[in-house]
Amino acid sequence: MPLFLLPHNALDACLQRLRSVAELHGPRRDTDGLCRLAPLPEGVRPDLTTLRTLLPAKKYLLPPVETTLTFRPGEGYRLPRLPDTPLILLGLHPCDLAAIAYLDRQFLAAPPDPTYAARRAAITLVGTGCSPDGYCSCLTHPSPLPTPCDLFLHPVEEGFLVTAESDRGKELCRSLAGLLQADRRCPPPSARDRFAPPLPPPSTEELDLSLPDWRELADHCLGCGACSIACPTCACFELLEYATLDAAGAERRRRWDSCLFKGHAMVAGGESFQQERWQRFRYRYQHKYRGFGPLQGLPSCVGCGRCRVQCPSGLDLRPLAERLERREA
Amino acid sequence: MSSGSPPCPATLLSIRPLSGDTSLFTLQVPEGAQVGGEQPWQFEPGQFLQLSVPGAGEAPISYCGVPTPDRRVELCIRRVGRVTTALHHALPGDQLAVRGPFGRGFPLRHYLGRDILLVAGGLGMAPLRALLHTLLAERQRFGRLTLLYGAKAPDALLFRHELTDLAGRKDLLLRLAVDRAVACPAAIPSCREALLPELLDGLALTPGRTFVPVCGPPSLYRALIPPLLARGVTPDRIHLSLERRMQCGQGRCGHCAVGSLLCCTEGPVFAYSTLLGIEGAL
Repeated sequence: MPLFLLPHNALDACLQRLRSVAELHGPRRDTDGLCRLAPLPEGVRPDLTTLRTLLPAKKYLLPPVETTLTFRPGEGYRLPRLPDTPLILLGLHPCDLAAIAYLDRQFLAAPPDPTYAARRAAITLVGTGCSPDGYCSCLTHPSPLPTPCDLFLHPVEEGFLVTAESDRGKELCRSLAGLLQADRRCPPPSARDRFAPPLPPPSTEELDLSLPDWRELADHCLGCGACSIACPTCACFELLEYATLDAAGAERRRRWDSCLFKGHAMVAGGESFQQERWQRFRYRYQHKYRGFGPLQGLPSCVGCGRCRVQCPSGLDLRPLAERLERREA
Repeated sequence: MSSGSPPCPATLLSIRPLSGDTSLFTLQVPEGAQVGGEQPWQFEPGQFLQLSVPGAGEAPISYCGVPTPDRRVELCIRRVGRVTTALHHALPGDQLAVRGPFGRGFPLRHYLGRDILLVAGGLGMAPLRALLHTLLAERQRFGRLTLLYGAKAPDALLFRHELTDLAGRKDLLLRLAVDRAVACPAAIPSCREALLPELLDGLALTPGRTFVPVCGPPSLYRALIPPLLARGVTPDRIHLSLERRMQCGQGRCGHCAVGSLLCCTEGPVFAYSTLLGIEGAL
């Protein structure tokens, strides 16, 4: 794999070139002190040292609300114009990339979701290495998922070692000619190797109801759904239909949902199969760490730590997962 | 499985009231219409479709009839939510839209040559009517057929006109139960005041050669399964159709999960043996 050095003093020029290829987005610290994935126009430098952005990259692939169908009399339901604006997403860490691999499995499996597929095809992913903190669980409980990206920037003292990880990445490297220096040192570990070797997957057997922690933990859960919103792999959505003002047409939108919300498992007429909060809490745990449907057995937690940071009650499912996994080992 | 393709148009042909809040809607899908390579009028009993009422939204509905060459689709729908309320205000000729079929229906190939005991509670009659008509269309390929059907009151019994005909058939045993028999319709002689599981009493049942497809509210499953097991029917031969809030139909939106299973792709019909031990399944 060709390896280049991007010296610190060439970073601005490199970003400027990337901006000429596509709209550039990446981690940006705002005046409110929060770091978000946001546009990086000329003159705005990315914050490549902050470990986690407020929301993960899923907001680009699966926006919080988006129109998936339109209806007009005589035309019926149609797909909207699919998004195709090229976008370069900079500064994604291995966990962010693993999360994209998970969403890809969910939304690109046959038959692919048309809007997700269009957005995904228009995005170039530039990964960046990081050093996990106490909220991260990528090293203790590494994700078995790959970390797909086009370019990967490995931080070194003099700047970044750059590897092209796809054809699109190689092309980008060519467009950065003159800024990148060929480097002969040993290539750093690939993005994937930044995760430790995965542990054997947890068994998919039913979780033990007798564990007192479920109710105890759920008693602290406010059911606010912040963990789902912040989670890079939580992708539950609901479909909503809005009539146009002339009442003749309609728009169908999908909106982020959370399995911690009471309405999530409710059926027509109001009956719910997850009536109690602790049931919903356990259900979320089960889906995070055990997977479901075609992804059954594949944990979707990539260890980014956003849920642990965001929870207003300071809840953390990780110790529980570790306990359960130890019991099963 | 239908893809993320838009629903195809369907014309509402007729609405036939079946009870106070439930009607039989007949739709017709135009010739050549398809959704991502699937033809919504080609289905197996137990499968469901997604019915769109423009401006109101989409709801999962079980197929209630059998596939016809003129692409008609029968749906038995109770007025209970936003979409179904809008639908009950629709008129023949209105344009609706459909996607489907979705899910796995009743495992018909296992039913060949076997006795089939169908148990329907309330609106659960809708998917079981699709199954019953499928079985009756090739009656000689199956063993003894029995239908147990219960509703709250006589006027809540769906398809009463058909039940009268079915009651007269020699190759089908029909037993009906109503919770409150204000006046059991004399035209349906098999009807009595009882809880549905009580209809099992005195019923000839050979567990080794019987499959039991069931559809009804969760309370029916809880009340019916113990006596079935006590009669020797094994959990793998009890097939339950579960109601969940299937939205996307593609295993993505996350609303219809039953434990680690997805109702929209792996159900809605599950063997009871598959659901054993799954919290919140029944």
